[in-house]
Amino acid sequence: MDPALMGRLMMGRLTISQLMTDQALLGQALLATWTLVGIALLALGILVYVALRGRNRRVDLTKVVEAFRSIDIAAFSNLVDSAEEAFLRNNLSPEKFRAIKRQRARAALIYAWEAGRAATALARVGQAAQRSPDPAIAASGVQLSENAFRLRLQTLRACFHLLTGILLPSRQGRSLPHLADQYERAAQTLFRLGKSPSGAPGIARSKTG
Amino acid sequence: MLPMNWPRLLSLFLWISPHLLLAVVAAIICKRRLYREFPCFFAYVLYEIVESIMLFVLRTVPSVTGEQYAYAYYATLFLSIALRFGVSEEVSKDLFRESMLLKVAARRSLRCVTGFLLVVGVLIAVYAPGDISVRLVAGSIVSRGAAMVQCGLLLALLLFSRFLGLSWRRPAFGVVLGLGVLTSVDLAIYALRTEFSSAVWVPYLNLAMTGAYLVCVSIWIGYLLAPEPQPAFVSRDEVETWNSELQQWIRH
Repeated sequence: MDPALMGRLMMGRLTISQLMTDQALLGQALLATWTLVGIALLALGILVYVALRGRNRRVDLTKVVEAFRSIDIAAFSNLVDSAEEAFLRNNLSPEKFRAIKRQRARAALIYAWEAGRAATALARVGQAAQRSPDPAIAASGVQLSENAFRLRLQTLRACFHLLTGILLPSRQGRSLPHLADQYERAAQTLFRLGKSPSGAPGIARSKTG
Repeated sequence: MLPMNWPRLLSLFLWISPHLLLAVVAAIICKRRLYREFPCFFAYVLYEIVESIMLFVLRTVPSVTGEQYAYAYYATLFLSIALRFGVSEEVSKDLFRESMLLKVAARRSLRCVTGFLLVVGVLIAVYAPGDISVRLVAGSIVSRGAAMVQCGLLLALLLFSRFLGLSWRRPAFGVVLGLGVLTSVDLAIYALRTEFSSAVWVPYLNLAMTGAYLVCVSIWIGYLLAPEPQPAFVSRDEVETWNSELQQWIRH
């Protein structure tokens, strides 16, 4: 027990119920303190991790290509097609529809997540291209990174939308943002960037942080 | 063998050395003309140097009481906290400088994060442990709330940049990293200070705080001196492969 509390108790200035309240407050205060310390240490850990991880980080073009290869836009469009969903809703029992919708939303979520990751890589490529001495490549780089950022934000919105679909399958959601269009625009810009007539290929790998 | 008064010597070393190194930071900023891009950070560095000299003088003047010194300490700390918010704003502007989209969308999101953190900071200041009736402890509690907000804001900035694939420039990343380390340690120390306020603990907590400041200033120096990495060009073959992959993809 806290010696100060013990002293007050012995001097008759504190009743047992007051003592219990004080002890409970003390416990809460200690818990709050250590929670804050835990949050601070977690923040410190994340900072150190980001600093160390970012030091030798490079854009791996092979991974970007692989990410592109893994995404089947036609399949993704089918999974998020509202007409398709309406058809399933009308022709299946509610239980069956909910189960199917969950599965479709889960599959679409994986697509959206991968598209987002590819967008992050594209953004890095675009930013590296912005630093190119060739003005055409630099301009394409600006366009590419803008499209990639837009796509990333769209995928984030899409992920929330699809998560809602998984959690509340009976809810009739709004149509998804134009994710496929964004992805295609980014890919086209990337294609132009690669075809740039500059003497040396201008796309660079970049280090971050 | 350590001298008898080594804690005091260590404390003095940790108090003076970061501020001497801050003068180095100011010199690097001037030499590399970074004050044009980071005016608030430059002002913060200069302010910290002047503040430390003033507090050091107050500490050595015998007529200044401990309480008077504590008031001066908190008064200068609040201005320092305000400048740190300015620095956070400055680095976020630098991070989103190249994207019109992010200038609007990401900064709006960051404002939401700041608003949320401010609410959390105020709640912590009001409800967290510590006797707010004592004015000096109240100062410590307000500092703790501010440290919480700043730490959260810097962390959000770092995570946001990772999420979007944004490239940091070396100086801006260094500023964020140093300030992040400082504010996270500050948060832990301010929280501990309200619980462990006895004379036994205070010197150790002060040592941890000044030690974190030394680490923070060293990070700033390291990143301000480091050259920007040169982008390494990709081979022609690699671009060809990449193109053919994309051509296949675009045909879909």
